[in-house]
Amino acid sequence: MSMILTSLIVIPFIGAILALLMGGSREKLSKYVAIAFSAIELVMSILLVTGVFGAFDTLSESFQWIHNDTFVINYALTVDGLSILMVFLTSLLVLLVNIFSLDEHRENNNYFYALIMAMEVGLIGVYTAADYFLFYIMWEVTLIPMYFMISWYGGPRRHYSAIKFFIYTHVASLVMLIGIFALGYMSVEPGAAVDFSFAAIKSGIASAALGTQSLIFALLFFGFMVKMPSVPFHTWLPDAHTEAPTEGSVLLAGVMLKMGSYGIIRVCIEALPDAAAYWQWLIIAIALISIIYGAYGCIAQTDLKKMVAFSSISHMGMVMLGIGCLSQAGITFAVFQMFAHGLITAMLFMVCGMTGHKVGTREIPLLGGLAGKMPMYALFMMIAFMASLGLPGLVGFWGEFPVIMAFYEFILENNVIWMLLFCMLSLMLTAGYYLWAMQRTLFGPETTKIDLTHAHDVAKFEFAALAVLSVLVAFFGVWPDAALQFLEPYTNGLIAAIGVI
Amino acid sequence: MAAEIITSIFGDLTPLATMIVLVFGALALPGIQMFRKKCVVSWAFALILAVAALVIDICLLVDGYVGTYLGVVVTPYSTLMSMLFLIVLFFVVLVSNSSIETTKNHAGAYYSLLLGATTGMLFVVGSTDLLTIFVGVELTSISSYALVALKRKDGRASEAAVKYAIVGGMSTALTLYGISMIYGLAGTTTISNLATFVTVSDTFNWAFAIGMICMIAGYGFKIAAVPFHMWAPDVYEGASAPVSMFLATGSKKMGIAVFMQVFLVMFIAAATLGTVYGEVAQYTFAIIAAITMTLGNVVAIAQNNIKRMLAYSSIAQAGYILIMMAVMTPEAMAAGTFHMFTHVFMKGGAFLIVGALICAGIGEKLSDYKGLAKKAPFLAAAMMIFLFSLAGIPPLAGFTSKFFLFASAIGTPGETYAEWVWLAFVAILNSAISLYYYARVVKAMYIEKGSDTEKVKIPATFMAAIVLCLIFVVVLGVYPDLIYGFCEMAAYAI
Repeated sequence: MSMILTSLIVIPFIGAILALLMGGSREKLSKYVAIAFSAIELVMSILLVTGVFGAFDTLSESFQWIHNDTFVINYALTVDGLSILMVFLTSLLVLLVNIFSLDEHRENNNYFYALIMAMEVGLIGVYTAADYFLFYIMWEVTLIPMYFMISWYGGPRRHYSAIKFFIYTHVASLVMLIGIFALGYMSVEPGAAVDFSFAAIKSGIASAALGTQSLIFALLFFGFMVKMPSVPFHTWLPDAHTEAPTEGSVLLAGVMLKMGSYGIIRVCIEALPDAAAYWQWLIIAIALISIIYGAYGCIAQTDLKKMVAFSSISHMGMVMLGIGCLSQAGITFAVFQMFAHGLITAMLFMVCGMTGHKVGTREIPLLGGLAGKMPMYALFMMIAFMASLGLPGLVGFWGEFPVIMAFYEFILENNVIWMLLFCMLSLMLTAGYYLWAMQRTLFGPETTKIDLTHAHDVAKFEFAALAVLSVLVAFFGVWPDAALQFLEPYTNGLIAAIGVI
Repeated sequence: MAAEIITSIFGDLTPLATMIVLVFGALALPGIQMFRKKCVVSWAFALILAVAALVIDICLLVDGYVGTYLGVVVTPYSTLMSMLFLIVLFFVVLVSNSSIETTKNHAGAYYSLLLGATTGMLFVVGSTDLLTIFVGVELTSISSYALVALKRKDGRASEAAVKYAIVGGMSTALTLYGISMIYGLAGTTTISNLATFVTVSDTFNWAFAIGMICMIAGYGFKIAAVPFHMWAPDVYEGASAPVSMFLATGSKKMGIAVFMQVFLVMFIAAATLGTVYGEVAQYTFAIIAAITMTLGNVVAIAQNNIKRMLAYSSIAQAGYILIMMAVMTPEAMAAGTFHMFTHVFMKGGAFLIVGALICAGIGEKLSDYKGLAKKAPFLAAAMMIFLFSLAGIPPLAGFTSKFFLFASAIGTPGETYAEWVWLAFVAILNSAISLYYYARVVKAMYIEKGSDTEKVKIPATFMAAIVLCLIFVVVLGVYPDLIYGFCEMAAYAI
């Protein structure tokens, strides 16, 4: 059995340990260690995507772990069309974040990079796990590094935000854990040991009564929805983002939120399709509320970073909307939107972080006319905003437009044309808050409210990270098939298996 | 094999082998202290005997030895529980020599009492009769009162000892009164006969219920179940750290063992058949469990003394373990036993760190822990791991055992229990609450700045014990089968 997938988890783990050991005089080295290991990780994941190790969906691994009379738990990893994009996105963003942070010097660099690499271990673990026990462990493993990242390196209210983030998401994952227990018990015959592997549960749970299934669905869905996050359980996100360092925000919004939507597809939809159909209206309603509320929230913000945080709520609502359609197109483009949002939001948070760092404040009313002073910065900000509002030709368009198309089909089927209003409203609001923010920040007369004499343009490593992201944003915008070719076989299989069109 | 060697040495007395070793030590130690004034001699002697007893016990456990001598019954259950107590004893003895506050002047008495108390625990898990259990519990309790009182010059310790002795005496009286009522009604004190009595009764008898309540209250004091918990924080705070650890991880587990042997055995058949006493007992224990864990966790939030916080968190952990008394399935018992083991290592480890820091001159207030990560990076990291394990963060031992325990409340394969899902919910919510106060300690250690940054040196024995606990917390987290298999055997043996 090949150990390629295990190595994807082991490489960042070794990186984390080594970075941690680079204390004291070797502190500077820790960032290069982190970059080296995350670069190896990215190369590995590119090789995995391009099929150098053989077709990626043949690389499953499984080892016996805990076997007793009650439980059968395996260390099992697998990759398919859904997870491959997330693995790629994770390894890409971690490397770019490491590069981006090269220009900044902070105390205890070694801890910082160890945390980033530890987070990568958990993230890759979540996206490749094929056993619920392992999945849950990896899910929690992402939590602790993020907590420390916020509370050591964050802004002034970091302790409050870190604790809030930790408790909020931990409670949610405990509810999810109850769902996992129930899933396990209901999927086996009385007296047999519970097998927690994805495949065993998927086939076992299908025979359970719809009432049971929908109850379990609700427990699991709650856990995932807080992570995404959806209104009304979103309040931890703006706080966490506002206080987190730029690197933390990028990983939090770029790949950690996707754990929620990944979980919904992987667990809720794959294992409990009937229950998903049962709750479909609720999913759609939550999605629409998140989209609209998130967008309105954006308009009200004066902190640039908080605005971007709210826009994440809105865009993750779009993902939820696609999933809620329960159609091939809906789920395909929901996943594509996850990928697109990962790229775009990374740019957005990097740009916001730079605003705070270089200008000294992120308060929109205090800013103005930055384009003249910092042209490269303005360019990246425009690319990111345009991509995020769904400009055709950039990657965001292929995330949003087809999801709305899929939703339109749902609307026609159920004869609820008025719901289209929500979609139009969301598009208008999104364009509105981005353009308005851009206008107030970049254009108009140069601000006199703050001292801009020390403001300098994008530094070279920041430029490198942002440039790579800009190229990818344009590349996938022009040629979305590059990602969709992996995705479509997966969603076709999923739809064929669950039989909901 | 190994058990055969032991049988060839002890002959018919093999079931008593571990106790013989400990009693020998308990009797010899005061004499040794008289002729050799150095503490380290007594310490080494006690340590060797503790290790010997532990080795004998592990040999018996691994070979699945079963035997009886004079009413002491050895089964996989009793050897497993003995192993737990002997591990605790080993850790406590190991660090005691460095913890000057306990050993000064009375090393002989101190170790003698420790061995004696442990003998009582071993006697309890080998007993099958209410009266012999009572005797074992008393042996442990009386030794523990003296252990707490050994810190003679300290006002807090004296207060704790007096409180502990009075409350303990009350509970003894209650227990004995309960036993006498039950004997009057059932005509027997043998637990298996009582179980038959409970199973065939189809009417509810108040006198019997009151007898039971007296016993539950009496032994509830031992495990500090709410509402019989008031003594625990004061006593843990007043006693020296090794003694606190002994009480929190050893003596408390003995109380839980009594619960398992007495109430579980008595009611399990009744609960399965659904006769009147079974249901009542299950709900009583469920309510005690829920209240115990909730109160323990909520009050722990307000504590600023680490020892007190750990005491309340022990109360909460006892609440989790009591889940098995409500669910009453073999799975729950196995999971509960397993949680007792993980609790020994994580809670024991936390107490050890507190003790080690006291030796190094750092107080037990939360504020004393500020900036500990700078002063003692290893200790801070170890403390963080123990606390996260207590909170149930994967992949540590506390997570795995809680996973098994809460899972057992939700159902068994093919079935979910509608009646106990609420208990699992309460437990899980409690886990989330507990995270808050554990995180406060972590925050103090890692995030807040301390007043000085001088490196902390701790005694080597403490270091060894902490490292051992740490290894077990991690290993049992990723490889629970190491002990869980024995827990299942024990659950079926009982």
